[in-house]
Amino acid sequence: MIDSNLWSWMSPVWVLVTILLLLYVRFVRGGSHLQWVACLVGLFVLAMAFVSPIGVLAGGYLFSAHMVQHLLLLLVVPACIVLSLPRETAERWFQKGPVNQLGKWLAVPMLGWTGGVGAMWFWHVPWLCSAATQHTGLGVVRDVSLVAAGLAFWWPIYAPCDRYRLPPLSGMTYLFSACLGCTLLGIYITFAPLSVCPVFANPVDRLGILTSLYSAGFTPGIDQHVGGLIMWVPPCILYTCAIISLLGRWYSSIDAAPTYATGSSTPSGA
Amino acid sequence: MSTQTVDQLDAPIAQSSWGLLSWVTTVDHKRVGLLYILFAIFFLVVGGLEAVLMRIQLAVPNNTFLSPEFFNQLFTMHGTTMVFLVGMPIFTGFSNFLVPLMIGAKDVAFPRLNAMSFWMLPFGAFLLYFSFLTGSAPDAGWFSYAPLSTKPYNLDTGIDYWILGLVVAGIGSIAGAINIVATVLCLRAPGMSLQRVPLFVWIMLMQAMLILITIPPLNSAIALLCIDRWLEAAFFEPVRGGSALLWQHFFWIFGHPEVYVFALPAFAMISEVIPVFSRKPIYGYAFVAGSSTVILLLSYGVWAHHMFAVGLGTSANIFFSAMTMLIALPTGVKIFNWTATMWGGAIQLTTAMLFAIAFLIQFVIGGLTGIMFAAVPIDWQMTDTYFVVAHFHYVLIGGILFAVFAAIYYWFPKITGHMLDERLGKWQFWLWVIGFNGTFMVQHFLGAMGMPRRVFTYADNPGWATLNAISSYSVIFMVLGTLVLVWNVVKSLIDGEKAGNNPWDAFTLEWATTSPPPTENFTSLPEIKSRRPVWDQTHPDHADWKHSKTPEDRGRRPDRARVCAWAFVISEAIFFALLIIAYVVFNFDQTGDGPSAVNSLNVERTGIFTLFLLSSSLTFMVAERSLRLGRQASFVTWLGITILFGVVFLAGQAWEYTDLLTSGVAIDTNLFASTFFTVTGFHGLHVTGGLVALAIMFALGRKQRVTQAQSKPFGAIGIYWHFVDVVWIVVFATIYLRVYQS
Repeated sequence: MIDSNLWSWMSPVWVLVTILLLLYVRFVRGGSHLQWVACLVGLFVLAMAFVSPIGVLAGGYLFSAHMVQHLLLLLVVPACIVLSLPRETAERWFQKGPVNQLGKWLAVPMLGWTGGVGAMWFWHVPWLCSAATQHTGLGVVRDVSLVAAGLAFWWPIYAPCDRYRLPPLSGMTYLFSACLGCTLLGIYITFAPLSVCPVFANPVDRLGILTSLYSAGFTPGIDQHVGGLIMWVPPCILYTCAIISLLGRWYSSIDAAPTYATGSSTPSGA
Repeated sequence: MSTQTVDQLDAPIAQSSWGLLSWVTTVDHKRVGLLYILFAIFFLVVGGLEAVLMRIQLAVPNNTFLSPEFFNQLFTMHGTTMVFLVGMPIFTGFSNFLVPLMIGAKDVAFPRLNAMSFWMLPFGAFLLYFSFLTGSAPDAGWFSYAPLSTKPYNLDTGIDYWILGLVVAGIGSIAGAINIVATVLCLRAPGMSLQRVPLFVWIMLMQAMLILITIPPLNSAIALLCIDRWLEAAFFEPVRGGSALLWQHFFWIFGHPEVYVFALPAFAMISEVIPVFSRKPIYGYAFVAGSSTVILLLSYGVWAHHMFAVGLGTSANIFFSAMTMLIALPTGVKIFNWTATMWGGAIQLTTAMLFAIAFLIQFVIGGLTGIMFAAVPIDWQMTDTYFVVAHFHYVLIGGILFAVFAAIYYWFPKITGHMLDERLGKWQFWLWVIGFNGTFMVQHFLGAMGMPRRVFTYADNPGWATLNAISSYSVIFMVLGTLVLVWNVVKSLIDGEKAGNNPWDAFTLEWATTSPPPTENFTSLPEIKSRRPVWDQTHPDHADWKHSKTPEDRGRRPDRARVCAWAFVISEAIFFALLIIAYVVFNFDQTGDGPSAVNSLNVERTGIFTLFLLSSSLTFMVAERSLRLGRQASFVTWLGITILFGVVFLAGQAWEYTDLLTSGVAIDTNLFASTFFTVTGFHGLHVTGGLVALAIMFALGRKQRVTQAQSKPFGAIGIYWHFVDVVWIVVFATIYLRVYQS
């Protein structure tokens, strides 16, 4: 891991990270400490997804590294971005008609769910998976689409404005079914006898590290095995954590005004 | 809203009578609940006697008291009985009795379905135990591992009875779970928001949901095993290309969540008993409730820790190991909650509370050995030894059965109107503590010394005889304890102290009515403004709502027919998902030269018939809309067209089957044919079922008996019909278009 070959310090992702950070400093007002942390963590993870060995190994060496990168871009980075937006700033942005319309549109749960779960499935169609790894242009399209799909996925759960959020119980169903979706894909990849992403079965050894990877046990079969499990287990744990946060929100929603007269003394159905 | 939906309930019949007929025909949730509990206790005794026989056999080395064959049958039947005929029904029984009372409802959402759910159970039990009369009870373990359970290794009919019994009991369990889900979601009294339900109710809701998703994998596995045994397919026969491992996967996808199907209700009971006898509200309600939800989510992802020794690969083992350790967290959280509830409380050491405290300690021991098994190397060393037996009996008896005893002492006054004798209760408690720990604690050592489980006898190795003797003789204490309980119940029923409405000064709504409750459960309810309405009523100065706010009830109650349909559809979806997974597993790389999807199926022709099925969903929606708007003639016409389209689809399937069979492709030809006929056959059965329901609606509609007022139940049938179509889209994409190979 210390091997300098495995780090890609000159990655163009730094430009993007710098721009995003400047935009956050310039336009976001009133962010709490936690929101700042979310922003910085998100940008750090975004950078590391490309700069660190994860990004380098994902470029044609290890399917499992590709899978880690995939999850960082689809789940972690977008979640941090959404969580970093303070309510007041967001309310101001989303006041205007067309932007509000966009917010509402993103809040349609079917859209976010299909985006989040669909992106995982779509980019693992074998020929597409290989092509996106081999061609830089398609790779960029994939990475951008992953982040966009992730934003759409987290929006109904953590949107900064309450009106875009799903009610907690529906949110839990949304996350649980997403967990089932990635579980099925995880099982498929883990136990599939053929190569899900053929390019990783016969890597081109650009950096001369293939032998050491294989001798460390990362042969293509094991690699795909690990990749499938990464697709399966960490996202479900992440979803479970999100569900716990929704439960917390649900149990503490005591300020909501009662819309129903309590105090009736008849048993239901009497 | 609840008031409207429950008005439709018919009054249960013949309630005042206590004759046998009144019990057989009852649809009252309390009586059905009691039937469940009595049934479970009967089989607890039967399964217990089987265990006693096994312990007699194992009391001394090289014993010949039982034959090896009979010993195999005994441990198989003991496990199957305790899981399906004791564990499942006893909790369904308590849930049936208590949930409607605790949420202030008159009955469950579907009383007749409830009675059916129960009566499936004796039927299933009869099938299972009838196998003894054939001379060959099932003998492949409660998990019926393949290929031991397949025909070449098990020619007798025992496994067939096992299959039939489990399917029948499983149908009852799913129907019962649907009922609990619909009851909690649709029938809560005004004021009782979901955040205010007693923990028992919330956790039993989670358990019912878990049953809905955990029984279908078993049914899928059993369906495949059944086809293997009866129609000579080879899903689980490695010799003919099948996979014995697939059985283990499917079985444990059911089997591990099943552990939580038992553990959750025990948590539910303890969460009611400990606060009442500590005279405090539960510490961290949201944590107990929330962690139960998390258990529901995680329990589905840890099954492979039962398979560490089969060679899944290091990476899979590591991940499942990590997941297993994770699931210990939400369970551990609760232990802290219960302990913190007792902390600083005015603890009353009633028998119920003693059992609850013993539960805490013994369950922690069982839980800790469970975490040991999550570590792969320890599992490799200990698997299939008596350490495993000790571990899960600490969970199932020391934990769960002790919780059931606590529940019996706590709710018996409500159920019968009489108190149980506390002195006898304490005798039972100590006899069980001694007997249980004596029997199972030493089995940890036996396991560590290498004594394998599931063997009918053992050699006289150093120390084994003594430890086994301790284990066997301790059983006597448990038997005596049980006799004390029986005597206590009989004595209480004859001349027990009258209980009154609320003998424990307890908190939840079941204590707001008489003991036993009247048929309609309540004449009036206290105001529900917190989680402890009865406490608020009896201690108005210290009412909970005055100092701690809980989310108000917004009055939303979903339609129970729709809830029922959705719950059923989710359960069925999982059944099909596993069948389709089986298809993909066996058809991944078709290298053989036998029939395959490529050379045997006519994709275009089936595509056309698919269009008919999909169109039937559209015509159904038109029919539904017509009904909602009150256009009767249009409704009947469009419903007729829907049925016609469905029939055309089935005719297409019949055509395809005929072609395949005449060209020599039958279910036993090869694994493609087996999986193809299984998946499409089960789908066809579901279409047929849907068509029967639609035909009934059609006949009633023509007689003007399905009108606008019935549009909601009709819509529920629609959910099922659309589901059948969606399943076909997946089946078509998988089998005919082979998307998984793209």
